[in-house]
Amino acid sequence: MIEFEALKANSLDEAIDILADKKNEVKMVAGGTDMLVQIHHESDDLKEMKYLLDISAISGLDVIEDNGEYLRLGALVTHSEIMDSVLINEKFPILQKAAEVIGSTQIRNRGTVGGNVNNASPAADLVTALIALDASVVLHSSHGKRELPLSEFITGPYCTDRKEDEIMTEVKVPYIQDEYYDCYQKVKRRQAVAIARINLAVITKVKDNKFNDIRVAFGSATPTATRFKEIEKELAGADLSAIDYEQLAEKTSEEMVGITGERWSTPYKRPVVGNLLKRALQSIVKEVQ
Amino acid sequence: MEEVNVTLTVNGKEHNIKVPSDERLLDTLRDRLHLTGVKEGCSIGECGACTVVLDGKAVNSCMVYTFQLDGSEVLTVEGLEIDGQLDPLQEAFIDHQAVQCGFCTPGMLMSAKALLNEKPDPDREEIKTAIEGNLCRCTGYQQIIEAIESVVKIDRSE
Repeated sequence: MIEFEALKANSLDEAIDILADKKNEVKMVAGGTDMLVQIHHESDDLKEMKYLLDISAISGLDVIEDNGEYLRLGALVTHSEIMDSVLINEKFPILQKAAEVIGSTQIRNRGTVGGNVNNASPAADLVTALIALDASVVLHSSHGKRELPLSEFITGPYCTDRKEDEIMTEVKVPYIQDEYYDCYQKVKRRQAVAIARINLAVITKVKDNKFNDIRVAFGSATPTATRFKEIEKELAGADLSAIDYEQLAEKTSEEMVGITGERWSTPYKRPVVGNLLKRALQSIVKEVQ
Repeated sequence: MEEVNVTLTVNGKEHNIKVPSDERLLDTLRDRLHLTGVKEGCSIGECGACTVVLDGKAVNSCMVYTFQLDGSEVLTVEGLEIDGQLDPLQEAFIDHQAVQCGFCTPGMLMSAKALLNEKPDPDREEIKTAIEGNLCRCTGYQQIIEAIESVVKIDRSE
């Protein structure tokens, strides 16, 4: 059994002080949908934990705010709040599409943006969409504040660049100028309470019937959710009505295997990534027409 | 283990309690307040048997520590009945035979209750989404969905 002392931070400063003092001995909890499972399973990652710091009451970390150039998404924003947000619905519908396929209603009511990002599961549904959106994360500590791209923050499966005295306070999502189309796909074993076998976020502008500024991010296909740059190059400027889907699917699989090498799951994932991209692009093409 | 003071309102009644750090809401409700209608199934948020309404939202009580909940309000299945009068949802579950072994029922009811509190006239898909985190191994869900739908229809006719 894991024994720990409960701590509660009522402000960001309080949390920062506790983190600076306790360092590796403290873990943070908010919604608890990942942390309580880890504690229940007595995860090895919690071997050094002596304190559990509840950050759920810190005010200001639950913002969903339009900051002109970007959307501020506070670490404590729940998946349900993303689904209910008028602002997100208008500006980043793909975030809602990602949020609504997470876990179950109960999990979405508790689970947070900060938890999804910091748990850094390769299958995290929100993360794939945030990677496609070129989001950044903001971290605070007693040394000050720093900001870095989400793609650099998540360094491996369940690993981040967060230092032990840091707390992630928000995700910044830059606005996309002009009209754009998006599609979110998730392959799972059942409809609800299912971890993604693979997820995919595609965002693109369409100019003169051609893909423009297209982003293709897969989750659970590679060690961390990542944009498939080769495929993006392949698709940039491609005519919507002249796509060779079979060839594209093949190249998508190649790009994945180029990153991961042959793994036990490759025979399954190789055709799935290609077909999933095909499905996403066809749905966008249909929407454009 | 350190103990923490928490004030929790459960089914309309305020409790000032002292809980160990690792006491889950589920444990507080079942073992401390003897509200055994709350069931423990999987303990990892996958089955929904422990679902309660926390500050208006359906949550898995196995995935929340009580120390996090100072000042919160909880509704359990025991709080649905008022002065001997069953909640319309409970009546509907009986009428539609939406209960077999009964283990998932309190969780199902609380998920449905949270849905109807937020949205009195959900459609069938919204009902399915509301109970997607609640497993039932007996009924096949059909009767449960119909029971919840019937309450919506009653409300519509009023």
